[in-house]
Amino acid sequence: MIGGIPLGDALLASGALFLVGLAGALLRRSAISIFLSIEVMMNAANLALIGYGSALGTREGQIVVFFVIAIAAAEASVGLAIFVALFRHKETIDVNKINLLKW
Amino acid sequence: MARLMFDAAAIFTVLFAAVMVVHRHPVKSVLALVVSFFGLAVCYVMLSAPFIAAIQVIVYAGAILVLFLFVLLLLNVPEETRGRDPRPIQRILSGGALLVFAVYLLGLLRGHGAPAGGPGGTVSFDVAPLARLLFSRYLLPFEALSVLLLAALVGAFVLAQQEKGETRR
Repeated sequence: MIGGIPLGDALLASGALFLVGLAGALLRRSAISIFLSIEVMMNAANLALIGYGSALGTREGQIVVFFVIAIAAAEASVGLAIFVALFRHKETIDVNKINLLKW
Repeated sequence: MARLMFDAAAIFTVLFAAVMVVHRHPVKSVLALVVSFFGLAVCYVMLSAPFIAAIQVIVYAGAILVLFLFVLLLLNVPEETRGRDPRPIQRILSGGALLVFAVYLLGLLRGHGAPAGGPGGTVSFDVAPLARLLFSRYLLPFEALSVLLLAALVGAFVLAQQEKGETRR
């Protein structure tokens, strides 16, 4: 219990959010949509970390989430730069059409 | 009351994340995710993590997703067509895997309480103890993070710059 909120609620919300992100990553075809879905999964993990941290009465969960958010910023910038470079070569970011390692 | 508000925010978050997944227009998809992250920030406040809620809004919704929007507008990504799927077997298999994973995950989470043996007590709402922890025990990772961000900045610049001799489109 965290101020009246049972931990199970936070875990269930986190699991539902993770499943939505996983569905997006598996079923979408645009590379940017897949990337966004991965961000959603990362946020689901953050929610579980904060929930556990608060339920255990420690701040370590918040510290980990702080680092995750900062690393997500770095990852997003590099990933989007890759998409820009890819689009310049292929004129598309549909993952079904990007199927060669080298051309 | 707190539980009701948390549940409402969580349902709001999951709902808008689902809108992000099903929407075919990429810009609207990103905007739905911005709304979803605001709901997630409310969840963080309810779990007494106000600092994380603030950086969720400022860094995630404010910086990362705006970066996505910039790239989408730069590339002029077209709306995903509803056309025939060249590889339908992939979708069927991934749908099945998703279903199996969903059953497994929800079964795992159901009735999972807080593990015993934690420090106990409640986390207060103020930010100062978090800062004290971040700048004492976690100072080295914090500084390493700044190097990582610099490396990401240089890497993104090198990847996205125009190559020599390439004509501008």
